[in-house]
Amino acid sequence: MNGDYSKFLHTFFEEVTEHLSVLESGLLTLEQNPNDVEILNRIFRSVHTIKGAGPMFGFTTMSRFAHKVETLLDPLRNGKFSATRQIIDLLLKSADCLKMLVEAAKNGTVIDEDKTVLDLEARLETCMTIPPPAPVTSASRTYQISWMPGEDLFQRGLNPLKLFEEMGRLGTIRSCMLATSRLPDLVDLDPQRCYLSWTCTLETDYPREDIESVFEFTTPPGGLTITSLSSCSPAAQPTQKPDPEPAPPIIDEEEDPQLAEVFFGRKSDHWLGAILVEQKAVTPVQLAKALDRQDTLRAKTKEQKAETSMRVDTEKVDKLVNLVGELAITQSMLSALGGRFEIEHLPILQERLLQLERNTREIQERVMGIRMLPISTAFNRFPRLVRDLSIKVGKNIQLLISGEDTELDRSVIEAIGDPLTHLLRNACDHALEPPEERVAAGKPEQGTIRLNAFHEGGKICVTVEDDGRGLNRDKILAKAIEQKIITGNDTLSDDQVWALIFRPGFSTAEKLTDVSGRGVGMDVVKRNIEELGGIVSIKTVTGRGTIFTLNLPLTLAIIEGMKIRVGQDTYIVPLLSILESIQPKADMVKTLIGTGEGVNVRGVFYPIVRLYEVFNLQPEHKNPAEAILLILETEGERVVVMVDEILGQQQVVIKSIEENFRKVDGVAGATILGDGTVGLILDVRGLVKLARQEQSIAV
Amino acid sequence: MSRVILVVDDSPTMRGMVSHALHEAGFETKEAENGKDALIKLTTMEMGGTKPDVIVTDVNMPEMDGIELVKEIRKLSAFKYVPVLVLTTDNTDEKKEVGRAAGATGWLVKPFDSELILKVIRKVLPQ
Repeated sequence: MNGDYSKFLHTFFEEVTEHLSVLESGLLTLEQNPNDVEILNRIFRSVHTIKGAGPMFGFTTMSRFAHKVETLLDPLRNGKFSATRQIIDLLLKSADCLKMLVEAAKNGTVIDEDKTVLDLEARLETCMTIPPPAPVTSASRTYQISWMPGEDLFQRGLNPLKLFEEMGRLGTIRSCMLATSRLPDLVDLDPQRCYLSWTCTLETDYPREDIESVFEFTTPPGGLTITSLSSCSPAAQPTQKPDPEPAPPIIDEEEDPQLAEVFFGRKSDHWLGAILVEQKAVTPVQLAKALDRQDTLRAKTKEQKAETSMRVDTEKVDKLVNLVGELAITQSMLSALGGRFEIEHLPILQERLLQLERNTREIQERVMGIRMLPISTAFNRFPRLVRDLSIKVGKNIQLLISGEDTELDRSVIEAIGDPLTHLLRNACDHALEPPEERVAAGKPEQGTIRLNAFHEGGKICVTVEDDGRGLNRDKILAKAIEQKIITGNDTLSDDQVWALIFRPGFSTAEKLTDVSGRGVGMDVVKRNIEELGGIVSIKTVTGRGTIFTLNLPLTLAIIEGMKIRVGQDTYIVPLLSILESIQPKADMVKTLIGTGEGVNVRGVFYPIVRLYEVFNLQPEHKNPAEAILLILETEGERVVVMVDEILGQQQVVIKSIEENFRKVDGVAGATILGDGTVGLILDVRGLVKLARQEQSIAV
Repeated sequence: MSRVILVVDDSPTMRGMVSHALHEAGFETKEAENGKDALIKLTTMEMGGTKPDVIVTDVNMPEMDGIELVKEIRKLSAFKYVPVLVLTTDNTDEKKEVGRAAGATGWLVKPFDSELILKVIRKVLPQ
C-alpha cells in the first residue's frame, strides 16, 4: 500500500458493513429463491468489493477469504449448480466469518492463520468440487472442533486440559492437533498469554450444543468452529489443514512494474513479470505480514476518532444548508428592522418573527432528521434470527417485515434491538405451536410472525404479531395467584391480566406456553422500552395469536408536551400519555371506601391524584368539580390528575434533573419554558404509583 | 487548466481512494457509481462543452459493468478517443482479452499502486 489512505478506512468499514448485511439478507432471500440471478449478482458484487478494497488497507486475510467465497459464488451465478440448503448454510457461516474478520480488522487485531477461517476456506473449496450429499442421520457423528481461545485464557484461570477432559466425556476424541502459528518470536512471547489453538475430531452421540457448552465462556467470538464431518464433505479426513496461501495478494503491485505491461498494445506473458518473483525471493510472506501489522496499527489509531462520526444523506445536509441560508436572511431582515424601528413597523416585525419561528422549527426538525435512520437497520438481523430459531425449535416459521423505511432516532434504534429480539424469540419459542398442533387447530402449518413499523400521531409504533396460540388468561391468573401477586377475589380486566406478564417476579410466565423460559423475562423488555419513554401493550386472542405493540418516541431528547398550571407553577405532561381531559360534574366525584377519592368517567372509576398535594402547592381550585382532570395512561394503567388549567401544547427539550440535582419522585425531568423559567416534566408512571400508595393508605 | 479524470466504481471507498491519489497529483476528478451513471455524467459534461481526459473504470458494477461501459464509450463520437483504463481485481488473461476487445486502453489491478496509476495516466493523457 502506498499513499495515505487511512482516512478512507472509516468509509471502507461503513461500506463493508453495508455489504455484509446485503450478503446476509441476500443469502436468506436466496434460500427462498435459489435461482434468483439478480440476488446472486448483488451478493457477488458485495463479496467482490470486500475482496478488492480489503488489501488496500492491508486486510489480506479478509480479502483472501472473500476471494474463496467468491469462487463458490461464481459457479452459482453462472447456473453451474444451484444453492442447496447446505451451501446456503456454508455461505451464511462464511458471512459470519467475514463479519468476524471485519470486526477484528476494526479493532486492529491481526487474524492470520485462524482456524475458523482456514476451516471454512477448506469447506468452501470442497463444497465446490463435491456436490453436497444428503446429511447422514446416524446417531453417532464426527465433529471437527477448532478452538482458538482468547489470549487471556490463562489469566482467567482456565486450564485447556480440563476442557479436553470434559470434551472426552462426551465421546471419543479421535485426533487432536495443536497449532502454534500464533506463537510470536521468543522475544515477544509473554508466557502468561495463550497463543495456542487446537483442532480435534470428536465422535459423539451428543448434539453440537453440548460440545459448544464445553467451550462456553472460554472463547472469544469466532474462536470456536464445530464442523460436522459427516455432513458437507464425507470424505474429509481428520484434517490436515491446507497450507495457507503462500503470498497474500498485497505484494502484487508493490513494485513498480514495467509500464508496458499495463497496455494491451504490447503482449506480456507474466503480469508483473520477473521483478515480483525476485521480490518474493527476497522477502516472502513476512513483508506482507509486516505491512499488514503496520496498517492495522495505523487503522487502530484512526478508528478511535472515526467512532463518533456518522453518515448522513447528502440530501439532508443540502436542505439544512438551504434552511440556514433562509435563517440568515430572516435575521438580516430583522436587524435591518431593529436598526430604525418605528411603531408603524410593528406588523412587519410580527410577520418577520413568525418567519423566524417557522425557520427555527424547520431547522430543528431537519437537525433531528439527521439523527434519523430507517428502522431497517434494526430489522435487518431478524430474518437470520428467525431462520436460525425456526431450525432450532423445529417449526416452520416465516417472518414478514413491513414499514422498514420508517425513520427513528439512531439511539432509539440501537436500544430497541434487544427487546425486539426477545419478543421474536418468545414468539418463535413459545407463542407459535408446533406444526402438528397447528394443523390440528386448523391453521396453516407454517407459522407467521409479522414485524411492522409505522408512524402514528407523532410517535412510532412497532408491532410484533404472531398467529400462535395467544396468551392464556386462566393460566396467567393461576400463576399470579400462586405467586401471590393478586388474590383469587380480584377481578381484573383483560389488559390488567396481560400486564401481569411484565411483572419482574413473573418472568417464569413464559412457562405458560409449556416451554422452558430463558431466564430473561418480559419485564426486561418492558423496562428497556420504558427507559426510552415508550409503551408496550398487548392484544391477544386465545388460539389466534398475539400482538405486541411498542409505542416509541421519535427521539429521546425532545418530547411533545402539554403545559398545565397548578397555582403559580407550570408543569409539562408528556402528550403521549394524555388520553383526555375533562371538567367533571360534582356528582361524578366520589370517595369510596377502599379505593379513596375517584372520578366516574362513563362508568369506569379512576383514582384522582391532586397534583397540588403531591408537590405541596397553593392551588386555585380544591374542588375537583371546578378544576380540570387529565386522564393519563401508562403501562395500561390509568390515573386522573387534577390541575388548575391547561395552557397549551409545546415541544420541550428534556434536561435531566437527576444529573444536576437528585431524583425527584413524580418528576421525569425539567425543561426551559418560553419565558426562561424552569418547568418540571411529570413522570406519569411515578404518579400512578403514588395513586396506588394512596389507595392502600385509604384502605 | 487541470486535467479531468472520470473515476467509475460502485465502491465509495475505492472511488474515494483513486480520486484522492489523483487529487494529490493535481488532477481534477469526477466520479460515477456505475456504467450507466458514467454515461450520464459524460453526457452532462458534453453538454457543458467539456470531457474527461482519461476514464478509470471498475469492471464489476451494478446497472452497467465496466466492459459494457467501454463498449458504449467507443460508440460515442465525442468520447471515442478518450483513453479508458480498467481498474479491477480480475487479473485473468481471458478477462483482459475481453477488456481489450471491448476497446479498453489499459488494464490495472486492484489493490492498486497509486504511483503506477499516475504513471499510466500521464502516459496516456492527450497532449
